Amino acid sequence: MKQFDKELKERAKNEPFPLPEDYAGRVFRTCAALEETAMETPKNSASHKKHTKRWMAWAAAAVAAFIAVPNVSPTAAAAMSDVPVLGALVEIVTFREYTYDDGHSSADVSVPELSGGEAADQVNEEVQAYTDRLIAQFQQDCEETGEGYLGLDVSSEVVTNTDSWFTLRINATRTQASGAEFIKIYHIDKTTDQVVTLGDLFQPDADYVSVLSDEVRRQMEERMAEDEAAGYFPDQFTAIAPDQNFYWNEDGDLVLVFDEYTIAAGFVGTPEFVIPQDVYASLVRS
Amino acid sequence: MQETPLISKELFCTQVIENQEAMFRTARAILRSDEDAEDAVQEAICAAFAHRGDLRSPEKFKPWILRILANKCYDACRGRRPTVDLTEVQDFLPAPSADPTERMTLWQAVLTLNEDLRCVVTLFYYEGFSIREISGILGIREAAVKTRLSRARARLRLLLREE
Repeated sequence: MKQFDKELKERAKNEPFPLPEDYAGRVFRTCAALEETAMETPKNSASHKKHTKRWMAWAAAAVAAFIAVPNVSPTAAAAMSDVPVLGALVEIVTFREYTYDDGHSSADVSVPELSGGEAADQVNEEVQAYTDRLIAQFQQDCEETGEGYLGLDVSSEVVTNTDSWFTLRINATRTQASGAEFIKIYHIDKTTDQVVTLGDLFQPDADYVSVLSDEVRRQMEERMAEDEAAGYFPDQFTAIAPDQNFYWNEDGDLVLVFDEYTIAAGFVGTPEFVIPQDVYASLVRS
Repeated sequence: MQETPLISKELFCTQVIENQEAMFRTARAILRSDEDAEDAVQEAICAAFAHRGDLRSPEKFKPWILRILANKCYDACRGRRPTVDLTEVQDFLPAPSADPTERMTLWQAVLTLNEDLRCVVTLFYYEGFSIREISGILGIREAAVKTRLSRARARLRLLLREE
């Protein structure tokens, strides 16, 4: 009986669950329409402004959660365009989807398409080329393994969307016995309509790769010193990639992101390192 | 006036979004159609937000909102006539599949169970709640949860292991 219970829990966890098509959009709209009642203290204009800002930040985060919901459709994308933070220069217009299920292997790819300028088009092309590669690899793996159990799951997340900056994160998980997670993060500087990679943040001749690599290694060693079971491999780490994935966190700090298994044991997941500003301040492009 | 600070709108909404799948599943386990379940979820979100002062600790958000949702669903059941029309019965049956050899999914199997079993199964297997928590959410005795769970399990075994 225990065994059967376990099997049921596994299936509950792993089987895709069919949500009605516009359900997520409806929940989202219901949330957005909730009104704060008189239960709260009256707001002066400054706190109201702050509140609105926090609410916008929530909306951006919620959009990220929203995109990850399977079966999103142009209807869902249309519902999202009501969200004020996406109203600016760059917005999600629809989702490109690919699903596959032959009973043992399955793929679920859903990536947004952006509109709003040349940089948005460029990100679309790069995302498409990247997901096409992942899908082709998945199809080839399926043919080679025959009855194997393979999985490919690609979802996305809007990490930042302000008046001047847009960051889209694509999370890909390939499963074959065990899973591996890959990340690609795309940035658009809305003020210049340019796609931005890590190197673009620094002066042209700056050796940011060494500087940031040293800091990552230092933090890896620090984490290992704190807990020797932390799972990092500082000795095997050579350097970050010149276009290493990064994003800006809520405090405005630079965060470098690594794929699973690349610099640490699998159980660490996709390691992230917050780089203090004083480490690279002198190299930043003015 | 309040002892515990009110949960903010952002946090409330984030929690709702995180739990939206659990909410739909729970509502659909009690009600007969997707539409009824969606209506109940919407009502529960509004009711929960209006009564968010009752939420004592934010980490209990999920059982708290599911309890409100379950009550909304029971209200909706009471409001309807007790007859079943044939098009609704179809919702209980496994969806016809293009390939008859394809195995039934767990959710299709769950939907064939009686209403009183469906909800217990959903909360136990999908949402990972304990028997005591389920008793709290559904407002029924723990012994009743156990009985229903064991009846449901026997039925699921027949449905899912037909070798």
